[in-house]
Amino acid sequence: MIPKQKVVAMVLAGGQGSRLGVLTKKLAKPAVPFGGKYRIIDFPLSNCVNSGIEAVGILTQYQPLVLNEYIGNGQPWDLDGMHSGVNCLSPYEAVGGADWYSGTANAIYQNISYIDRYNPDYVLILSGDHIYKMDYNDMLEYHKKNKAACTIAAIDVPKEEASRFGILNTNKDGSIYEFDEKPAHPKSTNASMGIYIFSWKELRKYLIDDANDPDSSNDFGKNVLPTMLDAGERMFAYPFEGYWKDVGTIDSLWEANMDLLDPNVGLDLNQVYSRNPMMPPHYIADGVKLQNSLIADGCNVQGDLEFSILFAGVTVGKGAVINSSIIMPGAVIEEGAKVEFAIVAENAHIGKNAVVGADPESVKNRDDWGVTVIGDNLTIGDNVVVPPKAMIDKNMEVEK
Amino acid sequence: MKSNDVLGVIFSNSCEDTLTELTAHRTTASVPIGGKYRMIDFVLSNMANSNVNNVGIIAKSGFMSLMDHIGSGSAWDLSKKRSGVKILPPYAGVNFANKIETLYQLRGYISEATENYVLLSESNIVFNIDYTELFYLHSVNEADITLLYKNMKVPEKLMPVTVKHDNVGKVEKVFIQPEVKGNCNLWLGSLLIGKELFLDLITKAMSENELNFNRLVQKWVDEYSVFAYECPGHCDIISSMNEYFRFNMSLMDADLRKELFQYDRPIYTKVRDDAPCKYGLTSSVKNSLVSQGCFIEGEVENCIISKGVHIKKGAKVSNCIIMQDTEIGKDCNLSYLIIDKDVVISDNKSMMGADSFPIHIEKKSVIN
Repeated sequence: MIPKQKVVAMVLAGGQGSRLGVLTKKLAKPAVPFGGKYRIIDFPLSNCVNSGIEAVGILTQYQPLVLNEYIGNGQPWDLDGMHSGVNCLSPYEAVGGADWYSGTANAIYQNISYIDRYNPDYVLILSGDHIYKMDYNDMLEYHKKNKAACTIAAIDVPKEEASRFGILNTNKDGSIYEFDEKPAHPKSTNASMGIYIFSWKELRKYLIDDANDPDSSNDFGKNVLPTMLDAGERMFAYPFEGYWKDVGTIDSLWEANMDLLDPNVGLDLNQVYSRNPMMPPHYIADGVKLQNSLIADGCNVQGDLEFSILFAGVTVGKGAVINSSIIMPGAVIEEGAKVEFAIVAENAHIGKNAVVGADPESVKNRDDWGVTVIGDNLTIGDNVVVPPKAMIDKNMEVEK
Repeated sequence: MKSNDVLGVIFSNSCEDTLTELTAHRTTASVPIGGKYRMIDFVLSNMANSNVNNVGIIAKSGFMSLMDHIGSGSAWDLSKKRSGVKILPPYAGVNFANKIETLYQLRGYISEATENYVLLSESNIVFNIDYTELFYLHSVNEADITLLYKNMKVPEKLMPVTVKHDNVGKVEKVFIQPEVKGNCNLWLGSLLIGKELFLDLITKAMSENELNFNRLVQKWVDEYSVFAYECPGHCDIISSMNEYFRFNMSLMDADLRKELFQYDRPIYTKVRDDAPCKYGLTSSVKNSLVSQGCFIEGEVENCIISKGVHIKKGAKVSNCIIMQDTEIGKDCNLSYLIIDKDVVISDNKSMMGADSFPIHIEKKSVIN
């Protein structure tokens, strides 16, 4: 027996995140580096501990090695309690066979016994690919006050973007009367953030029903939530104000990083926990131009930097110029290289005088422009030019 | 002999008299250094990296900051079932007056340890060493005692103890405060010795009222098989304010950083969850080491800046060591200062030390 936990959080971290292309070739989306020293998963995990939630299950499926290793025993997030903490939960074999997680709801269904151990009153379902800071207690209070079976966090999005989201249409009291998944003509701008609080008793029942329905695709958004609404359960939208970003695409990942450099964006990194690099402070050489950037420990900066983010242990050679780019841990930018509007993944090597990416102003046709991505551990040879919008997944040399 | 058969014992108050202001409210071991470290991180990480899994740190006074820094020891991976780090404060009203008395008082702790060897060290040595080679040579030489030394200049204000050894490393003589020109074989105050022998020798010294540790070591050379082992690689002893200033500034050298902060033998320190350092639109930085959690809006040149420091717009800071969470106001003009933790310097202040005389600003000072 283990002591009861009022709330158990389950983080959905199994998706491939195929829209991030080469960045998620060898790791799951929640393990993608973010913000100079974090990985995306640090945000939901830190939110949990800062909200006093001490039992967290992370549902992993796609390429879990990096994520598993990173989470470890959960100590960096204080999630290494005696009776609670963080666990990575992969699909497993049981009597009667083994199943992959066929959908978000199925992933929770297969771990009902994990949740039951804690005998919780509530289960908090989170996504492992969102950047935001939130006190889940406020949402829980809202859930309790409304005597809801399910509460969904919602954020007001610009009208023109609303059709990209799941829209929650609500009554005046906040109760939901309709789900509108990516509507062509949205009735409101109340977008679901993919953060759900369920009363465990109710959810447990619906998960079992859902698993027994052969026609279901075992997804919260498509199946479980609509079924609950049809059954007349009390479901509420919790209005969240603050910074929130789904970083599922290269553009949104790049933008969210750049948001950290914008003093007008309300995302600060206080009390976001992570594993810390064991490296000395970073070094800035003489004659370097350095503006509006974030730099982690262990970097050696000999070149110019503006509107950029350097992760731990990055080397920037003399005369190199980095502009509006994200350089992930251990990458090397050689002398004279120019990196603009790019994401350079871990341990990539950009050769001398190579040019990676371009300023959107310098491109004639805006449709040809996009953020350039260099995959991890790749070598871009000296003098190679990598065009904007390119996604590089193999080494490049200048053709002779 | 095996590394995990060695008990590490570190003196936390090395050279505290000559480090003056820096050790006014803290032990030498917990003096901030190199931007994000404390002095003891070097020797403690070396021990942890060499499988010396059980370490005692002798604390004489002012050890709050040391306790805070060491915590459970988990930052050095020294908080396991089979490893640990303990702070050993004076107890039962006994003062730790000198090394011999201190070690005598701690004989219970030392004898209860399961390890069969003791590795003594000072806390103010800056180096990155794999002790296993020393352990190996100790057993190959069938030595009773092995002294760790370095051929180097005598650091300022340090009373030198030097070793003379033959061509196989056997120590012939130990000199206390000899006249030294240029380099000498400087004993680093660190030695390896069998535990039982060590306890016997300390008890004997007490009974003979021999309370000078250096003189005791000098005497051992005649009676026991004492060998010397030269510390490979870079080594600094932080013995004075000037040495402290000089060492910090020497970290601008990339090769030295590479040698001290090795990838497979990291120097660990207490973890603080700082965000990466943020540089504002008006920042200008030259030849400086800057830690995470800082916000730099002003001009910085030749500085070592610790965690969480804020340098505001228009401030010009050069040749300074700035410790954690200090705030420097707008349009300040500062040079050659050692600014301690949590200092607040308000706007428009000008303060200057000199290269040969950096001025220390006390912890938590508020300069209005």
